[in-house]
Amino acid sequence: MTLTRVAPLVTTTVARQKPRRRDGWVTAIMVGPATVLYTVMLIVPVGLALYLSLTDWDGFSADPAFVGAANYLDLLDDPDLRRAAFVTLLVAAAGTAGLNLLGLGFALLVNGVSRANTFFRIVLFYPHVLSALVVGFLWSAILGTTGAVNNLVTSWGGEVLPFLSDPTWATITMIAVLVWAGFGVNVVLYLAGLQAVPHSLIEAARIDGATRRQVFRNVTLPALGPSVTVNIVLSLVTLLKTYDLVVSLTAGGPAGQTQTVAYLILWNSFHDARLGFGSAQSVLLMLVTGALAFVVTRLRRRGELAVHQ
Amino acid sequence: MRSPRPFLALTAIGCLSLLAGCGGGGFAGDGQERPSGGGQATVRMLVNITPNLTQAYWDGLVKPFEQANPGIDVKIEAPTGKGVADTLPQQLAAGNAPDVVETLTADETLAKQVLDLTGQPWAKDTPLAEQAKLGGKIYTVGVGVQAQSLVFYNKKAFEKAGIDQPPATLDDFDAVMGKLKAAGWLPLQTGGEFLTGLQLLQLSNPSRAQTLPTWQQDIKAGKVKAGESLLPYLERYRTWIDKGYVDKNALGMKYADAETAFLSGKSAMYVMGSWFTASEAKSKKDFEVGVFPAPVDKGQQYPGPQGATMAAPYMILKSTPQKDAALKLVRWLVTDPAAVKSQLKQDGNFRAGVEREFTPLEKQVQQILDGAPSGVPQGEGYGDATLPKGFNAAWNTEVQGLYVGKSPKEVAEGVDRWLAGRS
Repeated sequence: MTLTRVAPLVTTTVARQKPRRRDGWVTAIMVGPATVLYTVMLIVPVGLALYLSLTDWDGFSADPAFVGAANYLDLLDDPDLRRAAFVTLLVAAAGTAGLNLLGLGFALLVNGVSRANTFFRIVLFYPHVLSALVVGFLWSAILGTTGAVNNLVTSWGGEVLPFLSDPTWATITMIAVLVWAGFGVNVVLYLAGLQAVPHSLIEAARIDGATRRQVFRNVTLPALGPSVTVNIVLSLVTLLKTYDLVVSLTAGGPAGQTQTVAYLILWNSFHDARLGFGSAQSVLLMLVTGALAFVVTRLRRRGELAVHQ
Repeated sequence: MRSPRPFLALTAIGCLSLLAGCGGGGFAGDGQERPSGGGQATVRMLVNITPNLTQAYWDGLVKPFEQANPGIDVKIEAPTGKGVADTLPQQLAAGNAPDVVETLTADETLAKQVLDLTGQPWAKDTPLAEQAKLGGKIYTVGVGVQAQSLVFYNKKAFEKAGIDQPPATLDDFDAVMGKLKAAGWLPLQTGGEFLTGLQLLQLSNPSRAQTLPTWQQDIKAGKVKAGESLLPYLERYRTWIDKGYVDKNALGMKYADAETAFLSGKSAMYVMGSWFTASEAKSKKDFEVGVFPAPVDKGQQYPGPQGATMAAPYMILKSTPQKDAALKLVRWLVTDPAAVKSQLKQDGNFRAGVEREFTPLEKQVQQILDGAPSGVPQGEGYGDATLPKGFNAAWNTEVQGLYVGKSPKEVAEGVDRWLAGRS
């Protein structure tokens, strides 16, 4: 038994010492597919967006003119972008809070092995399976002025509720629908985190007389630190790119008040035939998203370290 | 110990070379020949898909053409984006442009990419070909005309409100709405999405065209400000919101919901283009729908010029490797009597001299078109009378502002600011 265990170790050590050139090729072959994907999916589009952002390309002409930083200067003076940036940040902040609170809350509720919990996990995850376009049309049929809810309200003699016709209501509705459609993923991620919390720690705390709340606050939550970071960053990045739900739920209205930056980018690029300007907006969104994700990750990591110390 | 970095770099360079080699991308005009197998020419046509114009309809429409031209295969392509306007730039950018495109009309941007049809003897006789000319050249040919400035009304509602004559002036229109409101009806059906701004453009065409007949050209030349010139209509619209002549929650309704609401008798009037007749013909209802031309300002000629747009416009991309086949197809689509009739009927459109089976409502629309002194471009316009791309949408967003507390003046200024930014 001992001999058979040792033998492969020796072979591996010898193999490592000999043909390093072959090792390099193997690494290159292993990394190759990922490099191709990364290049095709990320480097090329980002490079192209950067290049287009410096041109006045309308999407049709064969010879876009180089305009330098003109598109970026126009961004500073664009009231539509300012409004869309505010809406996007609001959606990202409120949505991230909603997704994580609901995600963690429901994960705690269904964190146990039983048939009922399995059923509820599927139910909670189900909205995420639907396309955002379908979700938007579905909720607009429910909450629109002539939708199911308002039909019910008016048939009882009430006033129409302006879910989608008032700017404030429409923004809240959009955030609520985004949270409804997305929190299933957070439940799954938090469940994975909860199941990784060492049971011995919880047992020890209970033996020491800690209440359930104290166990959650002082044992479970600190142990969930990495899960919280992942959930916050993922939610934030996803919400900063909100587009398809805007198209199907509010179409950016009323009066353009629910337009997000991603919606505006697509609108400017293809509807208004200003792909150069749209590309500059894309580059800006990419930088802001990256910066926010970086800051959140750093802050969370600092928090996690503080807990461990 | 040697680092594997050189190998990784080699792999990356290989990947990039591979990408460069297989580049389907590039700007339009790179035009590579597309081989057509076995001597068969395949013409790719990008079309608009709507509830009336389905993929099955388009496939059926071109079938007789394919049978009459065994060497040509027509491939109908639906938009992959939100619509044709979004899809075409994406396809051009990918070097994958179709041969023929339906729905769009040529403007200064598009004209560089499409074939000049001025030399085609059949092109000049197609509807609105003359009006849609750009720099004296024909780039777009259409099947028919869409009348834009029409007010459809519920005859039962008019009867119950004691209205025996459709209004001819905008002041009369206000009075009629007052009567309808008093009789318990929602006077005017509107909605969210693009509908809000579209309806106000449709309604204002006949009177605006009498005071500013070359509105789009004047705006382009800086002689007229778009928002400022439409301020009286914005002010009037604001009073309609305040008086409850339109639903203050209308922006929460989609276009289709607004149409359904009118056809189910929930409102008395609906401003819409002639294509609405196709939906009206299919709907089941317990009232009759009538139509009258949009009213005009006091003292103006009534009926005034009718807002008119090209129905089913076609263009051929310059980059097409199948120029002859594409020309043959487009000519057939806009001149073949059976193809023309089919398209007119399918989307509720009209063409002078083409007799087809009309519903009673369509007959009235045809009479309105015959009686209109002229047809005028609407909003963003077409041909030489084209405003910057996106004007209609910007106008719509601003008009919706009236519902959320903006004053008519602020809305007008918003429109002018948008135009100034695009000039």
